Amino acid sequence: MSYTPHTGTADALAAQRRTLARRLILPTQILLVFIVAFPLLMQVYISLTWWTPLDGTLWYSAYESWNWFDNFAEIFRDPGLHGAVWRTILFVSIAVPIEFGLGLLLAALFYEGVLARPVFYSLILMPMMIVPAVAGYIFFLIFQQTGPLNALVGIVWDGAYQINWLNDVNRAFIAVIVADVWQWTPLMFLILFAGLMSVPHDQMRAATILGANWRQRFFRIALPRIKAVIFIAIGLRVIECFKIFDMLFVMTSGGPGVATESLSLYLYKQTFQSLEWSYVAAIGITVLVVLSVIAAIILTRTSRPSNTSEAS
Amino acid sequence: MTGLILRTVVVALFAAIALLPISWMATMAFKPPAEWTSATAELTFLPKDPTWSNFVYVFTGEVEGQIVSLDRTVWWPLFASLLTSVIGTLIAVVAGTAAAYAVSREKVGGSIGLSLLQLRIFPPLAVMIPVMIMWAFLGMIDTWWGLSLIYGIVTLPFSFWLMKSYFDELPREIEEAAIVEGCTAFEAFYQITLPIVVSAVASTALFIFILNWSDYLIALLLTRKEWTTIPVYMNALATAASGQLYGAKAALGLIAAIPPIILGISIQRFLVQGLTFGALKQ
Repeated sequence: MSYTPHTGTADALAAQRRTLARRLILPTQILLVFIVAFPLLMQVYISLTWWTPLDGTLWYSAYESWNWFDNFAEIFRDPGLHGAVWRTILFVSIAVPIEFGLGLLLAALFYEGVLARPVFYSLILMPMMIVPAVAGYIFFLIFQQTGPLNALVGIVWDGAYQINWLNDVNRAFIAVIVADVWQWTPLMFLILFAGLMSVPHDQMRAATILGANWRQRFFRIALPRIKAVIFIAIGLRVIECFKIFDMLFVMTSGGPGVATESLSLYLYKQTFQSLEWSYVAAIGITVLVVLSVIAAIILTRTSRPSNTSEAS
Repeated sequence: MTGLILRTVVVALFAAIALLPISWMATMAFKPPAEWTSATAELTFLPKDPTWSNFVYVFTGEVEGQIVSLDRTVWWPLFASLLTSVIGTLIAVVAGTAAAYAVSREKVGGSIGLSLLQLRIFPPLAVMIPVMIMWAFLGMIDTWWGLSLIYGIVTLPFSFWLMKSYFDELPREIEEAAIVEGCTAFEAFYQITLPIVVSAVASTALFIFILNWSDYLIALLLTRKEWTTIPVYMNALATAASGQLYGAKAALGLIAAIPPIILGISIQRFLVQGLTFGALKQ
């Protein structure tokens, strides 16, 4: 009979723990509602009007210039936006594969073993620790017509051969890709190397004993085992690369013309130069919807339980 | 053996490529104006005539031989960067750790984790218009609390997911034992569980500080003049003064770059985890 109160206290305890959990999660919930719910409603509201901050009216009187879906219709007719979107996609689809290739190469080299590994490891991670805006400035300096890169080219090619890097449409695009690859290859390396290190050593040793050369070991055993890690690494980079702003803004401001103008830069210019805030809001909602759909498709296709357990 | 040396050589080459651009800016910070570009002199890697004048210029606003005196020295942006990054980190770590514990133990809050992840997926500029309006409405534009608050919110996903990965690993039996001993649920969390993960909290905090310190875009959008952070101040320097101030900007770049590098190397082993939201451990 003395055991019966025990279940009562257990229930009371469970209730107490639940109350605590609800309280602990509250600040995060408040912050989320604050930053998501209200802004989202406001964004939808504004996107259905012509309101701009130049109107001299506050945002809540935007209904005076209600226009239903004109801003969304404009999205389909805006060559500037289309150009920026395609440029961003092009940028991502060039930069990320290069970063992945170089990162995987580095990870493989480290995995096979190099001298002074901890030293080189720290050195190679250095670029990704640089503030992106500062990295943009670094490459702004390097690609100057009177800068070090042209000085080097001058030594090799003999004479004052001065390439116009950042003022040429194609070269500027190459230059920003170089800068992005420089800064973010270390991230790929970091994640892929961590993945490789998690491959059980006895399997690799067994394969070696059975006569597998490094190529077989790497492509047949190691790579298939880190599929989930590869997915995470590429996924992270695609998301971040798609958002790219800081580095481009400092390095080229999207120029020359619109040659290096990413989606984020285009939105920035629309926000602060054209001040078409209702239009930017409409683009923002479209971007949210498109990205959510893509993310949902990717997640449902890849979230098999085997993947998640491998990743941890 | 030859393979080992060959691999080391290739890796050393990569390391050189990683370091050279940074060191170009670093040496630029010690060069006098005449050595900034090849238009005025032959370029050398090391300054021929090393000088502190770029640093003196950004810290005091005036230096002999510089064309313009600065109306604003780097002291205040430095302080702004530090203050907003630290408070932002505190907000993210405190709220994120508490929420992570709650979700890890009691599964409250529904899909709050996914909602937080979505915060990181969308390009900030696609969602910043209402945030800017809201910040203006609440009088938080160009204030330290406004900037700190948004820093805390945008880095919240990291602290939540990182701490959740730690709490998930801890057996709840420890807390249950403590509760049987007479602790309240909160005491079990605060006095038993939290001390176990305190080093993880510290790593998370340093990681988030780096993220906040590295921000450029948010400070650009939500500050005007008073509370601009170092990266924004640095990039505005060229337009504020006549002509490009390569050396002075390089000095600023160096000042902005050094804290994340030092902290980043000190939590090197934690970076994989941090960057993958705790999905991957080293």
